[in-house]
Parts: sequence; C-alpha cells; structure tokens
Amino acid sequence: MLGVLRIQGALASTGQARLLSARLLASKSSTVMATNRGESTQAPATEHFDIIIGGGGLVGTTLAAALAKNSTLADKKVLLLEGAPEFRGFNPTGPYQNRVSAINHNSIELFKSIDAWTHIESARYKPVKQMQVWESNTDALIQFQHDNFASDVACIIENDLILDAVYARVKEAANVEILNKARIQCVRLPRDSNSNLSELQLQDGRSFSCDLLIGADGANSVVRKEMNVDVFSLNYDRMGLVATLDLGEDACDNSVAWQRFLPNGPVALLPLTDRLSSLVWSTTNEQAKMLQALPPAEFVDALNEAFCRQYPRVELADKAVQALNSLFGHNATQHQVQYPPRVCGVQDKSRATFPLGFLHASSYVCNGAALVGDAAHRVHPLAGQGVNLGFSDVRFLVESLAAGAYAGFKLGDKQHLIKYERKCLAKNVPIMLGVHGLHTLYSTQFSPVVLLRSLGLQLTQNLPPVKNLFMRGAMGQ
Amino acid sequence: MLRNSLFASGKFRHLPAIAIVRNSTRSSSTAKPLDAGTQKEVLHHENHASEWWNQNGTMGALHALNMIRVPFIRDGIVSRGTVKPDYVNTTKVLLGQNILEVGCGGGLLTEHLARLGAQVTGIDLGEKLLEAAREHLKCSSPELTTKVVYKMEPVDQHAKANCECYDAVIVSEVLEHVNDKVALLEASVRTLKPGGSIFITTLNKTLPSWFGGVILSEYVLNLVPKGTHHWDKMISPLDVQRILDTSKFIQGFIVRIALAILIPTPVPFFTCSSVVNCQTVLVNGSTYDFWSNTWRWINNNQMCYALQAVKQPHREYN
Repeated sequence: MLGVLRIQGALASTGQARLLSARLLASKSSTVMATNRGESTQAPATEHFDIIIGGGGLVGTTLAAALAKNSTLADKKVLLLEGAPEFRGFNPTGPYQNRVSAINHNSIELFKSIDAWTHIESARYKPVKQMQVWESNTDALIQFQHDNFASDVACIIENDLILDAVYARVKEAANVEILNKARIQCVRLPRDSNSNLSELQLQDGRSFSCDLLIGADGANSVVRKEMNVDVFSLNYDRMGLVATLDLGEDACDNSVAWQRFLPNGPVALLPLTDRLSSLVWSTTNEQAKMLQALPPAEFVDALNEAFCRQYPRVELADKAVQALNSLFGHNATQHQVQYPPRVCGVQDKSRATFPLGFLHASSYVCNGAALVGDAAHRVHPLAGQGVNLGFSDVRFLVESLAAGAYAGFKLGDKQHLIKYERKCLAKNVPIMLGVHGLHTLYSTQFSPVVLLRSLGLQLTQNLPPVKNLFMRGAMGQ
Repeated sequence: MLRNSLFASGKFRHLPAIAIVRNSTRSSSTAKPLDAGTQKEVLHHENHASEWWNQNGTMGALHALNMIRVPFIRDGIVSRGTVKPDYVNTTKVLLGQNILEVGCGGGLLTEHLARLGAQVTGIDLGEKLLEAAREHLKCSSPELTTKVVYKMEPVDQHAKANCECYDAVIVSEVLEHVNDKVALLEASVRTLKPGGSIFITTLNKTLPSWFGGVILSEYVLNLVPKGTHHWDKMISPLDVQRILDTSKFIQGFIVRIALAILIPTPVPFFTCSSVVNCQTVLVNGSTYDFWSNTWRWINNNQMCYALQAVKQPHREYN
C-alpha cells in the first residue's frame, strides 16, 4: 500500500517536474518572442493575415489557389510561405522532369474547380489507360482499366507543371500573397479557444499572426511539432529512385503503367510520352545508391533485368493461381504477363533518390492550426496515393473552412476544423493502411505469405466488383 | 395538416394569454423583481459563467450546436429575401440585419451572428453571464465590438423601447428555462418588424427528449450541469406554434374579452400590436450525438427542434 502510494507520489512529482519544465520552456519561448519583438521595434510590427499557409509545395500552393477561388473565403487575406526562392516556372517544351505524380480523378476534379486544369492540359500530360501489377515469385497479376479503355485510370503529370498551373492561379488572386525564402523559425499557437491568434516568426526575424495557420510543410512539419500531436511513423529503410527513361522504337502506344513487386520493393514505369517513361524504383538504401551511381548503360541493363528476370518461384503458389484461374474458366493465355517496353536509355542527371517512410499524425487540427498533405500523412509511393491524399485534404479543408466561415465560426476554431479532420481520417486511414499492408505483404518471400498474396491478387483480378472497388478507391471516385 | 392537428387538439390556452396582459401592465414599473423560479434559473446559469466559453467543458454541446443553429438562422433569414443577393455565400451575409437575441448567456451565438455581419443585441438576466460575454468579446473578438450590444434587461421591458425594430429575434435554448413562455414570446415578437422572423430552438416535451436531455446528459454522462432542464418547463413544437400562430383576430378578441372581464378600468392601449400573429414556416428536428459532440438534423422532432415563424404584416380586422 505504502509502496503504491510512494510510486504514485513519484509519478506525481515527475509529472509536476515535466509540467514545470514545459512551463519553463514555454516561458522561455515566450520571452524569446518578446525580446525579438522588443528588438523589432524599428522593424515593421507583426503583420496579420487571416490564413497563413506554411509550405508552398504542391499541396500548399494548390490550397492557396483553392482558398482564393472559394467565393465564401474571398475576403480572407492569405499568405503563402515558401522556403525556396521564387518558382522558376515551367517550360512545356523543355526536357521532362524526373519528379512526376500519378494524378487521380479526384485531384483532376480539384484542378478543374480552380481553373488550373486547362493550363495543365494545354501543356503536356499523359493519360494512363491501363495498369498492370505483377510480382516476382508467382504468375499472379492484376490489370486495372475501364471497360474498353473508355476513360483514363490516372494521369501522369510532372510536379513542376502542377506547381506552375496552381502558381498562375495564386498570382492572379488578389487576396493571396506569396513570400519566398521564408523559413519558419518558431510558431506559437493559441492554448485554448479564448486566446485567438497563432503567431509565427521567420528565420529572418519577421513575424506574422493569423487566425489559422496551415501546416503544409512536409513530413518534418514545424507546425505539427508545435501542435503537439502524437505521430506514428515508420522508416521503411528503403529509398525511391526516380529517373526519366528513353524507350525503344517498339513502344508504339505507351499508355500502360507497369509495376512489378521485386523482393526489395516495387519498380514502376509510368508513361510520359510515346517514347518516354518515368521510373519509380523502391529498393534498399544500398541498392538505390548503387543504381544511382551506375553508368547509364549498366543502369539500363539492371532496369530491364528487374522487369524481366525470373526469380525463384513458389511452386505451390503458382499451381494455386493456375487452379484459381481454371476455376473461373480462364485459360492461361488470358492471364499472361505482358511485358513493358524495353528501356533504351536514361536521361542525363535525371536519376535522384529520396527516402521512403510511413507517417500519420493522430490529429490534423487544433485551435488555430491545421495540417494538410505530407505534414499529416506520408505513404509509400507504390500506389501513387501520397499527393492525391494531399489534394483530397485540400478539398475537404476548403469545404470545411467555407462552411465554418459561413456559419460565423472563427477560421481557427477547432469546433469546425474537427469536421475537416473527421472527413480526412475516414478517407485517408483505410488507404494508408492498405498501402502499408501491400508494402509489408510484398516485402517477404516467405512461401505461405506468397501463396496468400498471389491468391488474393488473382481473386481480385477475377472478381470485377471487388477489383472495381479497389480501383475506385485508388482513383478517388 | 399542422394547423388541423393544432386546432383539433383543442387545448387552446386562454389563461396564459391573459397572463401576458397582466404581466405587461404590471411591468410598467421599471425595477420589477424577478420571480423565484426565474431567479433560480438565472443563478443556475450564472454559476457556469466562467465555463461558458470552454469548448471542452459543460457547455461543449452548446458550442457544438452552433454548427447547425447558425446555418438554420442564416438560411432562414436569407429565405425571407431581405439579404442582398451579392451577400449570399459570403461571410457578410447578414450585413444590415438587426437581430435581437433573447437569453444570450455568454454570447456563444451572438458573436457568430455578428461575425456574419449582423448587428446583434443580446439581452439576458444574468449579470455574470453578460460579464463573461463582454469579457470574451473584448479579449477574443475585438473586431466585433461595434456589432454587438449586451444588455441586462427582461425582454418585455426591452420590447417597450424597441417596438418593431428587429429583422430577426432569436430565442435559442431559452424557452425550456422560462415559466411564462407566452409572455416571453409575445414580448419577443413585439420587437420584430412585420415580415421579420423569430427563431426558436429548444427541447421537445417527449419521453425520448426527457430521457436523453435530462437523465442521460445530466445524470449519466454529465454533459450538462445537473438541474439544467426540467420536464415541466419543456414545451412541444405544437404548443409553441399555438402561441405564435394564433391570428390577431382571434387572440385580439380573446384579449379584449379577457381585459373586459378582468380589468373593468379603462382598457390600456398598447403602443404596438399586443398579439403574436406569426406564421410558423419551418420546424426542424435535431438530435445530439454525444460520442462525437455533433448535432444533426433528423426526420422527427422527438428530441429537439428548431422553429422559424414569420410575423405577419398588420391587418385591421375590427
């Protein structure tokens, strides 16, 4: 009994100590803010905006454009902060960029609603008519397409083109300001609903206040850290390797996206033009570095091998897949793996790598702040969902903000922001779990798992309603 | 259909109608002491004045109610056609609307309406509540100080000086705390311009609403302070309609007879229409999901309801 009491006492005291230190920290940061303010008496005082978006990446800039376009929020002053220098613009006749995104139907609708789609359409993009996904250990495969290829499965668009299109919309908007080379130094959020402003200070000393601070500042979000939400994150110890590839003469109608799961991770070819494709190759850190450093000819050979090489097969799984196909009355030829066009070359300096991980914030909102895009969630690129989830956040956030403002709520009021969070969680969590599950399922060669995943994949392929369900989920319809 | 059932039920309340008249004649002396029941209610709410603006406290459900009651009032006003078309779908949709909020409490709804551009007067009987409201306005929404006026005043007194000067009157989550509902509604409507709307939100008087609104939320889940709601003070939408929709002719008739019987001395003439004479245009049922702290509209008004009635223009019958 005494022991319990003592433990409780100890707990209480550590709790108090933690509280105290937190308070100390808080007071320290506030004194820092105060002294900075004191210094900046000669500099212009804190400037106020209704909404500040931290981070001018794809999602942040699209959000700025969508806010500017919304008629209910038209009278709100918006500031877009971007750490990088001014965007150079996009040359639609120049060489293709290595960072591309598979944009789904839902995101295209968003671009249409903010008048950015015509800009993209008039430049260049590649519609994908079919996707084929297969693996290395069995014959199981799945193909996604609309009936008779009536509409596109997704569109492959260069990230810089999307940025160019949405920047053009933002620059037209009278109520949005863009501030480049603006790195956030510290953020202070209102503690409860009564103190009303979020404040932030840039590294160059300028300070701003706003009703709502939106963190669109990526996986290492400063805003998220200040929001003090629990974050679940995993490092996959994998890297994504991107490159722009030249295809041979035989790639006549390059409109299929290919993805093969290899033991180290999936390798995918996304069509850019009839003769060009973009590569996303997820693999171990060492292999990614090695591939990046290889001479172009050897790299191309390694890549072609990745798509065609026969790996040790799991006999039982192969037989099970065949049995399943015959059960559905298909013969083997109908489910033959088609092979992607042969890669002939890789464009100079187009190879780049980036780390892969999984991250999810337990909460997307608090009083005075909200998170969008990678700041709130990050997934494996294997299903091309990352940026599309970010764009769906943008839709939900603008909808919720407009509804909240039209009901007289303060922009930063958690009461209405929570609606945004609910919509996002309902949509994002199943997709993220699915993508993470696929990654886990395909990163093993353990026979029973191979058997089960092959059967699952083949069953999905053979049951159109189930397949359409997944396809609709991935396409955001 | 509604009207049929209304009259068929035949529970015409003559007595309260008389009560207003007596009330309003008596209240001519300014500092009228509150009756014991009202005083108790005011005290009960004043005890929670400091909690009023805490979204996570006992007023959480009231905060959440704004998600549906503000759109209800906003769209109700827009539907009357007095809002400039350019203002619709913007955050100044209620610009130019003069609104009275009866029983504004800590000003949860008041500030929201002001933020949409309306000029809002909030009246309440709880001094501490009004203090909390003024404090919050000053500290958290200083931009609204020109839009909001808080006054400690009973509505019948307010109606004397502000006859027919509001575009909308709001009696939200108040009716269930008032004994003399007829007097309150009658005085509220008196401040309304002809063609203006009165918006009421309250609990129904049904077993589900009693179980959910009193037993569950006060005694089991502790969502609302104990003793906030009482069965005998709840009122059904039909009873509210009965008070509001009674035509001028009928009620005028009753009033005159009542006056003739009760007060043999010269009949006092009221500065403006003494009878209610409204037309109920909308009754929406709503319910509260405590697990997600959200309100939603439902297909029946067994739990709570929101009602809009429009004051009919003057027409002389006699």
